[in-house]
Amino acid sequence: MIPELGQGALLVALGLALYGGLAAAVAGRTGRASLLQSAQHAAVGVFVLVIGALVLLTYAFLRFDFSVRYVATNTNLGTPFYYRITAVWGALEGSIILWGSMLALYTLVVIVTQRERAREFYPWVLATMLGVLTFFLLVMTIAAPPFSRLTPIPADGRGLNPLLEDTGMITHPVALYLGFTGFTVPFAFAIAALATGRVGEAWIVLTRRWTIVAWYFLSLGLLIGGWWSYHVLGWGGYWAWDPVENAAFMPWLTGTALLHSVMIQERRRMLKLWNLTLVILTFSLTLFGTFLTRSGIIASVHAFTQGTIGVFFLAFLALVVLGALGLLAWRWEALRSTGELDSVVSRESAFLLNNVLLVAAGFTVFFGTVFPLLSEAVRGTKVSVGAPFFNQVNVPLFLSLIFLMGVGPLIAWRRASWENLRRNFVWPVTIGVVGAALFWAMGIRSALAVLALTLTVFVAATIALDFARATRARLRSGQSALPAMAGLLVRHNRRYGGFVVHLGILVITLGVTGSQAWSVQTETTLRQGEVAQLAGYRVRFDGLSPSQESNHFRVIGRFTVSNGRARPTVMQPAKKFYPQESSPIAGVDYELGFREDLYLVLGDFTRDGTQATVKIQVNRLVSWIWIGGLILTLGTVLAILPERRPRPA
Amino acid sequence: MKRVWPWLIPLSAIPLLLLLAYGFRLNPRDVPSPLVGRPAAAFALTTFDGQPVSLESLRGKVVVLNFWASWCNPACYDEAPVLERGWRAWRDRGVMVVGVDIQDTVDAAQKFMREFRLTFPNARDVNGQVSIDYGVYGVPETFFIDRQGRIRAKHVGAVTDADFRSKVEALVAEPS
Amino acid sequence: MSKRIKFVAGGAVIALALAYMIYAGVTQSAVYFVTPSEIQAAPVAGKSYRLGGLVTRGSVKWEPRTLDLTFTLTDGKATVPVRHKGTAPDLFGEGRGAVVEGRWNSDGYFNATLILAKHSEEYKAPHDGEAGYKELMKSLGKKTGS
Repeated sequence: MIPELGQGALLVALGLALYGGLAAAVAGRTGRASLLQSAQHAAVGVFVLVIGALVLLTYAFLRFDFSVRYVATNTNLGTPFYYRITAVWGALEGSIILWGSMLALYTLVVIVTQRERAREFYPWVLATMLGVLTFFLLVMTIAAPPFSRLTPIPADGRGLNPLLEDTGMITHPVALYLGFTGFTVPFAFAIAALATGRVGEAWIVLTRRWTIVAWYFLSLGLLIGGWWSYHVLGWGGYWAWDPVENAAFMPWLTGTALLHSVMIQERRRMLKLWNLTLVILTFSLTLFGTFLTRSGIIASVHAFTQGTIGVFFLAFLALVVLGALGLLAWRWEALRSTGELDSVVSRESAFLLNNVLLVAAGFTVFFGTVFPLLSEAVRGTKVSVGAPFFNQVNVPLFLSLIFLMGVGPLIAWRRASWENLRRNFVWPVTIGVVGAALFWAMGIRSALAVLALTLTVFVAATIALDFARATRARLRSGQSALPAMAGLLVRHNRRYGGFVVHLGILVITLGVTGSQAWSVQTETTLRQGEVAQLAGYRVRFDGLSPSQESNHFRVIGRFTVSNGRARPTVMQPAKKFYPQESSPIAGVDYELGFREDLYLVLGDFTRDGTQATVKIQVNRLVSWIWIGGLILTLGTVLAILPERRPRPA
Repeated sequence: MKRVWPWLIPLSAIPLLLLLAYGFRLNPRDVPSPLVGRPAAAFALTTFDGQPVSLESLRGKVVVLNFWASWCNPACYDEAPVLERGWRAWRDRGVMVVGVDIQDTVDAAQKFMREFRLTFPNARDVNGQVSIDYGVYGVPETFFIDRQGRIRAKHVGAVTDADFRSKVEALVAEPS
Repeated sequence: MSKRIKFVAGGAVIALALAYMIYAGVTQSAVYFVTPSEIQAAPVAGKSYRLGGLVTRGSVKWEPRTLDLTFTLTDGKATVPVRHKGTAPDLFGEGRGAVVEGRWNSDGYFNATLILAKHSEEYKAPHDGEAGYKELMKSLGKKTGS
């Protein structure tokens, strides 16, 4: 009964979304308020029904309703309560429902907040969002129905993919999908701008916060994904340039470009065409990402279900890309720039270059990801490019971007004078050079690491300089230090929110640089009582012990770790044996630290438990990646707070 | 005055979309196996009904050899009706479907066959030798064997009606 | 020089640099998929390959003390001996498919730097069932349990 109810809810929602989308579009053309009203009601109905379906699916999971095929595939009687909830979005059907729910949620928020503010755009925004929802509901009802039955009903389910039994799996997909779906809002506004011909700054101003929110959740999703990879997969890394990761990274790159380029349109009324193109590109890439990971056309270590869903996504992707770019061509005359670049040395140029580099990075990631396909189609050979390709091409781009991160916010608009350059950059450059010398003196010999750290110091210095100057100006007007700083952050929250986000990125850069340059690892086989040494750590193997969990067995290794500084600790990397899996899963044990993490992975062992192979890694500065994520969060919150213009005195 | 060249922007996306569509031509389910093209390993099993079934006795027929288990859901659940339908449709044209149940208990397997009303011969691979000979890595896996007893295709995961028809049709059309 | 020319020149420089980086990146890090027969027909020492085949039964030798893993990969026609330093991934096993990445060595061995073994989400591997694991737990519990 419950499954039929869920499937019914989705069918009705599909009808409502289709109707609402069409009604809103007609309202957009004719201006009939009653139709718009009706479309709005339909959208609210869609929200209620999709959330209802998600709740029903969760309920089916909690009740172990194995008559539902999706439940039987992704859970079994041993799955703990907590993971029965995360299992809801553990595979394709559930993630599509989750995606749909978030999209419906965004639609609802748009209705509540934009109905009055964005009157001209609103009907078309609503039509676009309901159109996208229609597509997802179509997928839910035809290509990947979450409530389809399984007969005969099995006595027990298959079980959740053990790799997904992790707390990161609650938050990672949610954040990622909030990011992906979040870009629907700017996209809908872009379509509305094109449909109405109001391609000026209005839609940009209205969508600024939406873009930031979407970008933030996407960043968060990427970071949590990295954290999951780091502490679950047991290879000691957080990023592998796997197609699935690339799929989420590409819209992040173009989304980042968008965040910056809209500022130029706001200020200088330039780049109308470029901004619209970026929005369309970013939204298309979110679809492309799902297409890539779910269609199975590109082999990935994250093996996902394949099926007709790929065809659906490709068709929709084609519709979006061709439709939106077609609108762009149709409005060509209105999109010509009214402003013009004044000088090569100016903030506009810096932002433009930032955009070019970000899009170039996005392109290289895209190219590397589809390269196997291209090679097979053109030359018929099976070739792939791996992490070396992505690193080699992207590292120079990213380093240039970090440099621009220091230049962009301080260089003058229009045309930078020597005076402006001297005033803003003499100190940061000096500090950067001193930093570089210091790093060299500290014994860092990797040119790449020195360069990355130097750039980090330079950018941090520009931010510090700007903040110090602004604070001093306030001090002169008679405020004391702390209120002056707080006042700055609150009054100019947009500017300083951006700076804090930049700081977060710098901290992440520090973590990435450190882990790439200085991590060390070894793999060794120890008899009971034997000791392995690595980077000042002594790791002694004490033995193995078995244990039985609710849905798997576990072999736990006991290792006593000492590094001469602190008291010895016991670490327990394990191997987990799930009955439904043919191979064991690693259970990593790690100790996180600001300077370095110690990371143990249990490998092979003898059946009598007297000998075990263990991989020991000392991963340097990795924690700063996660800390950078926290700073990023603070900056984002600051940036989207309502702006407070200085009150007249 | 309408310009033509702005329309090149949407048009430029078309080759890219075509490339992605090309990806669908590659079927990840068709697994290149070293066994494909080589003579299938001989087997001799006893079905759940007590009848002997061997590859030798099926020479001259197109054989669809399917490895399954009752605990394998949903993939084996999905393909059981497909195999039964295929068997009924093609048995008169020299096609034989043989199910090999691996790593299973007799009770569970018989319940599975009853529930899906399977009428083609099914046998238990008691010591696992047949699945070893065929390099079976997981269930379900299906081998399509031609009239000369050579393995012509290996399919991993649930077989669909379309998979079944396309593979069997080609093999039946070959002269024996 | 006018502004316009400067911007166009700058754009061209960036585009060329990018094209070069991509070209160099692809030629340096492209990895070719080959089968054992293909690599034996035309082995090029020092070139990166991804070699896919079945792990020959009885060929796997593992020295836990030295972490030397050797085995042979076959496609039924040719057999290639493979060397690897370190533990094999969990999914690796005799009679199963494996893809190894590495270089062909002139002494006739394939030096694998990476062993890939993967399985898909819905595709279920035969399991020893709980019985096998229970027995493993018991044998460990007897010897080392305190």
